[in-house]
Amino acid sequence: RSWFVKMNTVLSRANSLFAFSLSVMAALTFGCFITTAFKDRRVPVDIHVSKVMLKNVDDFTGPRERSDLGFITFDLSADILYSTVVHSPIFDWNVKQLFLYLSAEYTTKSNSLNQVVLWDKIVLRGENTKLNLRDMKSKYFFFDDGNGLRANKNITLTLSWNVVPNAGILPLVAGSGHVSLPFPDTYETTKSY
Amino acid sequence: MLSVFKSIPTHMDYKGQKLAEQIFQGIILISAVIGFVYGLIIEQFGWTVYIVLAGFAVSCVLTLPPWPMYRQNPLAWQPLVPETSVESSQKPQESLKKKKHK
Repeated sequence: RSWFVKMNTVLSRANSLFAFSLSVMAALTFGCFITTAFKDRRVPVDIHVSKVMLKNVDDFTGPRERSDLGFITFDLSADILYSTVVHSPIFDWNVKQLFLYLSAEYTTKSNSLNQVVLWDKIVLRGENTKLNLRDMKSKYFFFDDGNGLRANKNITLTLSWNVVPNAGILPLVAGSGHVSLPFPDTYETTKSY
Repeated sequence: MLSVFKSIPTHMDYKGQKLAEQIFQGIILISAVIGFVYGLIIEQFGWTVYIVLAGFAVSCVLTLPPWPMYRQNPLAWQPLVPETSVESSQKPQESLKKKKHK
């Protein structure tokens, strides 16, 4: 007889409670994204290059016999804690980790724009944000697509990073500090690298 | 063992159901606002989630079981009339019709 009295059961109440909570949670997540979507995240970065060397070696990954291979030793210092423009924290509530990378950008006769990633690092939330790296060698080979590094007057190194958020899109930020350097005119003749 | 669960009374009357729904919607929304503001202040979204989860748990306790406050307005059924076997087959149909009018 109690079958007529029950309009909703525990299960249907639990269902509507759960669905309502999930919708509210989705709205909060969108709110979290919106509060950080448009902020300026630039941070001053100091890059200094101590040593540059150039070789011309066998490149088995490219279409030609020999390519230029550059070796750069650099110093990097930055404190990625607060952005300069807005003075809000870089690790705000919508940031899980940062992916930093040092890239070299230059022009050659055959290509108008070359960009090569030399080094990268993942900075997790809670880790030390002060970077003070000295005499760092590049993590990845600085191969050129051809022989355009020799006597190249202007190679620009920039530190950029990707913000990996909790919710929303991944913004790409360029650190406000870069260094330009020329490459030498001659190759080193030692074979090993 | 399932028959034990089926025999636990879980019904609320209609006004009680409406009250329960208002209560849990209010609790979840308030905990959402508190969680949003707190997470924004301490710059950790994890705390927003924890606070909303706590609101969910409180709502479960307050609105899922049929507490007496949800049974304050029971339906007024027609009194039982002692019947013969013919009338007893008509009785359920009558009470169905009355239910649809409401």
